[in-house]
Amino acid sequence: MSDWEPKIITFLCNWCSYGAADLAGVSRMQYPANIRVVRIPCTGRMSPKFVLASFMNGADGVWISG
Amino acid sequence: MEHMGIEKDRLHFSWISSAEATKFIDVVTQVTESVKALGPAKKFVKAG
Amino acid sequence: MLTYAEKIRELSAQLLREDKVDMVIGFRKGSLPMSNEPCMVKNPGDADKLVWDSNCGVNLASYLTDRKERIGIIAKGCDSRNINTHIIENKIKREQLTIIGVPCTGMIDKRKVSNSVDFDIIEVIEEADKVIVKGAGSEQTFDKKEVLRKNCEVCIHPNPVVYDEMVAEKVDINQDVDRYADVREVEEMDSDDRWQYFEDLLSNCIRCYACRNACPLCYCPTCFVDESQPQWLGKSTNATDTRGFHFLRAYHCAGRCTDCGSCETVCPMGINMRAFTKKLEKDCLENFEWQAGLNTEQRPPLDSFNPSDPDAFVK
Repeated sequence: MSDWEPKIITFLCNWCSYGAADLAGVSRMQYPANIRVVRIPCTGRMSPKFVLASFMNGADGVWISG
Repeated sequence: MEHMGIEKDRLHFSWISSAEATKFIDVVTQVTESVKALGPAKKFVKAG
Repeated sequence: MLTYAEKIRELSAQLLREDKVDMVIGFRKGSLPMSNEPCMVKNPGDADKLVWDSNCGVNLASYLTDRKERIGIIAKGCDSRNINTHIIENKIKREQLTIIGVPCTGMIDKRKVSNSVDFDIIEVIEEADKVIVKGAGSEQTFDKKEVLRKNCEVCIHPNPVVYDEMVAEKVDINQDVDRYADVREVEEMDSDDRWQYFEDLLSNCIRCYACRNACPLCYCPTCFVDESQPQWLGKSTNATDTRGFHFLRAYHCAGRCTDCGSCETVCPMGINMRAFTKKLEKDCLENFEWQAGLNTEQRPPLDSFNPSDPDAFVK
């Protein structure tokens, strides 16, 4: 399993972290490519269901950022 | 989650402003590393 | 206990006769021993059907959701806290309610009783703090303390926190109980043991959703388990789906659960799903000094922001 890479489902708030991610991209910064981003309109849209669904569908990790 | 037996480091929360690209990268790296250290998730994954 | 019932009948009949309420929600005798069923009384003449003994474990606040009538409701400690929760969540108005408070001496766990006798139970009689169980030709007596439900054993709010009438003097509160011994036991395990603990706990679950239906907090028009677009959880007794259901249900009750034990009482398989809700209840108490439903003024922790929040990431 040496070439195993985790899949991390990431929920980003449109106005905060999604903006930060965008800025990181525009600034051509390097970061690990393990995250799969789901943009949510606000972290208030987050629900425990999403975390559960991510894990049930095979996510190795979940990261929520507002 | 943790109480139920999911490893603590699989679920992360943070707060990043839209201007903090560097912090974003720091957190991505740290989250990735901690999940990597745990290995693939076996619990709660629905078989099939 | 018998005097409670008389007083309840008297008060209910009076309320109905004077047209102060349109109905009274209480308990009547069920068809099996140790199984009183909730009932709604609308005529003063029917008030005689109402009973009260130690088999009234189901939480009556579940029947208040979105009701428009004026209601008289019989409430023990936990019911009254759930009535407060309903008022906070705008599911009923205080003006609609006439609360008949019952100081509770604990409810008995029928599973405990039927597991400790080796005959078929025909009748159960209560006398003071004794429970007499009768079968065909045999009889056994228990101390009521021995057969209490687990949540009643550790209850610290047996007296109603809100009421209009009381049927008796308030009972003494046993503050000297260790409410969270079982939660701490799980907290001390490592993550694999915890996983196994809940796996064993839920292995009997048949997904009948009786716990959800009896819960006074579960009033969503469409429950997440019934949603099909997207379908969050499968319908079968798949272990992952079952765990997902119990886990999410517990989360929906976070900061609202009063540990009334309805879920466990109605479970046909005798699963202690309070193992989930109790942890969240403990966290609410430790992190936010919050106990659900004690008054209607304070906002619950999940809809208020507090600068002294213990989690750093929200600050």
